[in-house]
Amino acid sequence: MQDPRQVAQYGLNALLKAGADKAQCTLTLTDKHELNVDLGEFTLVRTTFDTEVGVTAIKDGKKGSTSINKSDSNSLDRAAADVLDIAAASSPDEANDIAEVQPAAVFSSGSDAPDMDKMHSRMKEMLQSVKAAYPKVMMRQAILDFTRTRSCFLNSNGVDFVTSKGVYSCSAIFSSKDGEKVSSFNYTAFSLQDLEKALLNCGSIDALLQQSTEQVHTRPMEGKFVGDIIITPDCLGDMLYFLSYSLSNGPMISGTSIYRDKLNEQIASPMLSIHSRPVSDEICDGYFVTPDGYAAQNSTIIQNGVLKTFLLSLYGARKTGLDRAVNSGGAFVVDPGDMPLEEMVKSVKKGVLLARFSGGDPSDNGDISGVAKNSYLIEDGKIKYPISESMISGNAADMLMNVTAVSRERVDYGFSVYPWVAVSGVTISGK
Amino acid sequence: MHSLDLHGYAKLFTSYTELRAQENRTVRIDFVKGNNTRNSRSSTSGISARVHSDGSWGFASSPEINENAVKLAIRAATDNALFLDSRERKGKGLLPIVAASSANDYSTKKPRLGQKDLVQFVRELDDHVVRKYPDLASRTLIITCLDMEKTLLTSDGSHSHSMIPRSFVYVILSLMKDGVPTELSEAYGGLGQFEDVFTSPPQLFSDIESQYEHLVKKSEGIHPNAGLATCVLDAELAGILAHEAIGHTTEADLVMSGSVAEGKVGREVASPLVTLIDFANSCGGKTCSVPVYVDDEGTKAEDAVIIEKGTLKGYMHNKESADRFGVSPTGNVRAYQFSDEPLIRMRNTAIMPGTDKLDDMIASIDNGYYLIKPGNGQADSTSEFMFAVTLGYEIKSGKLGRAIRDTTISGVAFDMLKTVTMVSPDMKWISSGMCGKKQPIPVGMGGPAVKCKVTIGGR
Repeated sequence: MQDPRQVAQYGLNALLKAGADKAQCTLTLTDKHELNVDLGEFTLVRTTFDTEVGVTAIKDGKKGSTSINKSDSNSLDRAAADVLDIAAASSPDEANDIAEVQPAAVFSSGSDAPDMDKMHSRMKEMLQSVKAAYPKVMMRQAILDFTRTRSCFLNSNGVDFVTSKGVYSCSAIFSSKDGEKVSSFNYTAFSLQDLEKALLNCGSIDALLQQSTEQVHTRPMEGKFVGDIIITPDCLGDMLYFLSYSLSNGPMISGTSIYRDKLNEQIASPMLSIHSRPVSDEICDGYFVTPDGYAAQNSTIIQNGVLKTFLLSLYGARKTGLDRAVNSGGAFVVDPGDMPLEEMVKSVKKGVLLARFSGGDPSDNGDISGVAKNSYLIEDGKIKYPISESMISGNAADMLMNVTAVSRERVDYGFSVYPWVAVSGVTISGK
Repeated sequence: MHSLDLHGYAKLFTSYTELRAQENRTVRIDFVKGNNTRNSRSSTSGISARVHSDGSWGFASSPEINENAVKLAIRAATDNALFLDSRERKGKGLLPIVAASSANDYSTKKPRLGQKDLVQFVRELDDHVVRKYPDLASRTLIITCLDMEKTLLTSDGSHSHSMIPRSFVYVILSLMKDGVPTELSEAYGGLGQFEDVFTSPPQLFSDIESQYEHLVKKSEGIHPNAGLATCVLDAELAGILAHEAIGHTTEADLVMSGSVAEGKVGREVASPLVTLIDFANSCGGKTCSVPVYVDDEGTKAEDAVIIEKGTLKGYMHNKESADRFGVSPTGNVRAYQFSDEPLIRMRNTAIMPGTDKLDDMIASIDNGYYLIKPGNGQADSTSEFMFAVTLGYEIKSGKLGRAIRDTTISGVAFDMLKTVTMVSPDMKWISSGMCGKKQPIPVGMGGPAVKCKVTIGGR
């Protein structure tokens, strides 16, 4: 039984037969083909096939869910019975619900199957290019994979979505070594619709490899000062984590989100506009359907610094009385600014080019601190040298408000598109 | 898990092969501010094969556990290894041959609790928290359980079966002071199925009382003074230091990629007060939180002594790295899901206890910090580390002062360990976290309190 729709329909029927008032069933079939490089050498070809059946039932306002990775009818019948037991054990909650009916749709993107020879030749080409251009670089691990996902989402309100997606993903972890001196490791990742371009020309990998060779010889910073940081595109996703988390179900339902009363208010610099675009042409590695069963739409989270939406699911929306988000976040696209990166650097009196942030998860109030990794000291408008043993401390919410510039240039990672962002008033401390 | 005797499939092995059947079973129940926001179970199982051909590896997995799936997985993994070998021609020859066997099942012997019982457990705990601490702005209580069951057969003749469970109750408390939220979370639990780890909600009441008292102080806390500081790292932080800052740099795959530990075996890398061991399955006669007896390559798991009295003694290995270094494999290889290939992972990594009393350590510091609870952590190939600190106090003139707000500490481990001047005799283990390295994996971390110098984030 490998037709996703047929399996999902069987699962949905089993849930209703077992007594669910409302039910949903999602079947996802995934096959992954992966080429692995360790220590600069091909080491492993990995092929995995998996099945995931997610079932949810609501009975008398009580909700239960389970997932299994078997799709035969016996397993589905057993899962349906289990999930009704789980629901019976839950507390009733008026906010439990499933998505209302929407027009049935079939979504697809990308290829159906990988080109393994092309994957091998593109990876080999990258390894050879890195060896020639950056001999100090040690490619600790590089992975190029192709993942094809076919899924079907059905619920008892009549939602009926079938999706198919094929996407290539590349990730790399690397460091550089010169004699006994070793750089901090760095990493990056990007997704691709196809393998038309050389991997070294995708995302930010080439620039990061070059920086890695410079970062063998770092200098610790002395003392402590309040200065500017320029956050690179590779680091911006980490810095936006606090924002997306604070807008999501958990902190919004518990009431601990500092943005809970800030809809349509200024929460960031007017220079900042942030979108979630899972179904945009800009994003090859997005998604078509939200986990609660809505066809995903693009949205604007922050428009010129003003908060335009929370990131609430159907449950979160019903629980808080606020609007449901039209997607489930991610696929972030940050609008470019009007200043070239070079000008941004020139405008910094003293600060840090923050290329990787190794920090603790932000507090609920936004306090954040961590080590500036793979980063550079900026003085009098010039990038001086790579630093080590230097910490950044501040508040993520304040940092959003204190953005002073957004670069004209952006990096396209396939799953997000980010510029460089300059922020003032950050505590920077060395030894 | 579907019972399938793997031994009959050895005849299908044409090269070095590992055949593994695995099931991961999870339970997750969340109560957020009294709302039962999640109530779920899951099960993920399947079969995998990994094949070695002259230095090239092939891996394949299937979500089914039956004869056909086994045959397909072995064939696909073999084809993958041959695909790579035909293009790379590494000519590295055979892996070292090891054979071991074990059977270790930590399933409870007690009657199993149903989902309803578990939900009731959290509900009772939540009722207690909201009744006892009415000034809390929010509370989140979570039950999370993971049973990991594996059966392994290798072409070397190793075979093993293990069922290693872990169960935790997370309690996350939040206070609002002047409109600013402050949170403190704690994980209670460890090795075992829920019935063996927890008796009833009152078992946790005194620990939650202590957690709440710390939270009140933290809500009135101050930002630390950023910069280098003399600190006492309490046991949990010493444990994460052992894992993140030292442990990772001594995993042989990271050593080979140029970690700072490369070429330092036999050299002094820490104060003579520091001994660091990655325990396979027991420490001091007690079973560790993540016991490993035979690893996922079929090697008997042995304790790996990393640092002995300040001197680096060795690394953690798989078969391939052990062969390259000319030593025996240490049994450090594990995979998280049936569909994951085995990697070099730590098991139960700890700094060994010393003789200095904690009170004396605090009294010896004129101006510094006593850091108690870690959050997330990360380390680098340079041994530069970072850990979040979610609970700590300032030390002024040898006495504990005000609590501090969430912060981060950092340092270069191989430098920082030379600043260790005192080590306490009491040891504590934590095991709620997952280590991330391509795949997540449960790990244990342990240690005593350690006095040292680290850089602390703040204002």
